[in-house]
Amino acid sequence: MIKLIKTEWLKMRKYTAFWWIMGLTALAYPGINYAFYMVYDNLMNQPTQASKMAKMLIGNPFTFPEVWHTVAYFSSWFVFIPAVVVIMFISNEYSFKTHRQNIIDGWSRKQFITSKLMDVMIISLLISVLYIIVSMVSGYASKSEGSGEMWDKSYFIGLFTLQTFAQLSIAFLIGFLVKKAFIALGIFIFYFLILENILVGLFKVKVNDIGRFLPFEISDRMIPVPGFLGKLESAENYQKAFDDITLHVILTLILSVIIWGICYWINSKKDLK
Amino acid sequence: MSIVLSIKNIAKSYGSVRALNGVSFDVPQGSVFGILGPNGSGKTTLLGIVMDVLKANTGDFHWFGQPGSPEQRKKIGSLLETPNFYSYMSAIDNLKITQSISGRGTSADIDAVLKKVNLYDRRRYRFNSYSLGMKQRLAIGAALLGNPKVLVLDEPTNGLDPVGIAEIRQLIIELRDQGHTIIMASHLLDEVEKVCTHVAILKSGNLLTTGNVEEVMMDEDIVELSAADLTALTALFRKREQQIIFDERANTLQVILPKGTAKMEDINRLCFENGIVLNHLILKKKRLEARFFELTNN
Repeated sequence: MIKLIKTEWLKMRKYTAFWWIMGLTALAYPGINYAFYMVYDNLMNQPTQASKMAKMLIGNPFTFPEVWHTVAYFSSWFVFIPAVVVIMFISNEYSFKTHRQNIIDGWSRKQFITSKLMDVMIISLLISVLYIIVSMVSGYASKSEGSGEMWDKSYFIGLFTLQTFAQLSIAFLIGFLVKKAFIALGIFIFYFLILENILVGLFKVKVNDIGRFLPFEISDRMIPVPGFLGKLESAENYQKAFDDITLHVILTLILSVIIWGICYWINSKKDLK
Repeated sequence: MSIVLSIKNIAKSYGSVRALNGVSFDVPQGSVFGILGPNGSGKTTLLGIVMDVLKANTGDFHWFGQPGSPEQRKKIGSLLETPNFYSYMSAIDNLKITQSISGRGTSADIDAVLKKVNLYDRRRYRFNSYSLGMKQRLAIGAALLGNPKVLVLDEPTNGLDPVGIAEIRQLIIELRDQGHTIIMASHLLDEVEKVCTHVAILKSGNLLTTGNVEEVMMDEDIVELSAADLTALTALFRKREQQIIFDERANTLQVILPKGTAKMEDINRLCFENGIVLNHLILKKKRLEARFFELTNN
């Protein structure tokens, strides 16, 4: 396993696009959270009575422990940035035909997919470390505005990591099946940003919310909207969203196993052209 | 002599196209084994199967007496079809990946193979800046990394200039002399004839013939002879109802005899006893090219 990771590192470290996109991710995740913090700050710190009332009701979503939840929710919108790297990693292998060469040189077909699984896991962990840093910094920066028990909602670290891994796994599957980087990226972005959101919205109204079983929504629902946005929903619905987290964790795990199972199975059977 | 690769009844189809049709042969240790055939004859498909990038429909193969496995592939230096490298990486970084996967060679060996294929000065340049010939040489370098005892080379002289072709030919001869086993697919019959000890000839997925190069080429004995009186010489063999070919340009007569029946002393005596003094008498080898065209009906 270590040998596979070392070999993947040799491929990664000289890949300029990887560093650019990881740099972009490192800016985007704190950026989006900072942007929301500024919006919150502007709205809540007006010298009006309404603003003071709102602040009392909503509280500060960037203080501990709620910050774990808030940052996880906003950060998850940007999974499409590291997804670009994941898609590039697999489509590069096809365009350079190194998916063949790695086998010719002595990897088994299983090892090839395992090396890619390692890539996705490592990127998910890097993103999660970034999420932890952003949450900690935000939490400490907002400490003056009152704070609860710091680690109370730290279970969102696990949920965020699993969500990132599951969604990057979908990106990998698309890249693995489509092979062409730009087509795969187009499909991923269109589905992730547009199509599934339309379908989820549509099904919420029309078909008994069946959209919750769509590939991205399965893991999206592990992280319900943060508390201050949850107040816009009925208390009953918001509580149900929390009650469903366990179900969605299980579904996400099942989906991830299916995705990687498909990759292993196809790669073991097909001709590598 | 032990067998390095044994192929048994391998068949492969792409839809309705039958790329290989029950091909079987053995590659002896220490041989330079040429796989010949026109375009689309199944050479690359066969090598793809034994290197596990393609799946055979039926049949099996054994490397070193064992079913094919990743551990065995690590011991084999291969260049299959095209040079496959990470285009954004340098030659040296690409060979580090080959080394990391195969476990063959050391950092010093990487430098050594780059020198051997004349890429050492360009070792830090990106692969995508290389010419076709340089890419091919890097692929040969990767195959040579760690000095594997078995090499699989698919069209190794592809894209090389005449000097490069001659260098690779010399390299193959050196490797053969050092006891390496080389399995080589090629279109270049002249190259194969110069370096190969054994051949297999494929056409439309069928194995036409296989064996020692001499055996494959010498399907009949060709005796070339000449004399001052060529008319009498021609009449003598025509009278004996033997197949003859008269080469006007070279002023020689070729007598075609069943394989293994040409007795040069007897022919010389026959001519002399009939009053013809020969000034030229040799047992001629058929060129591989001629044999290839005969077998493939081209």
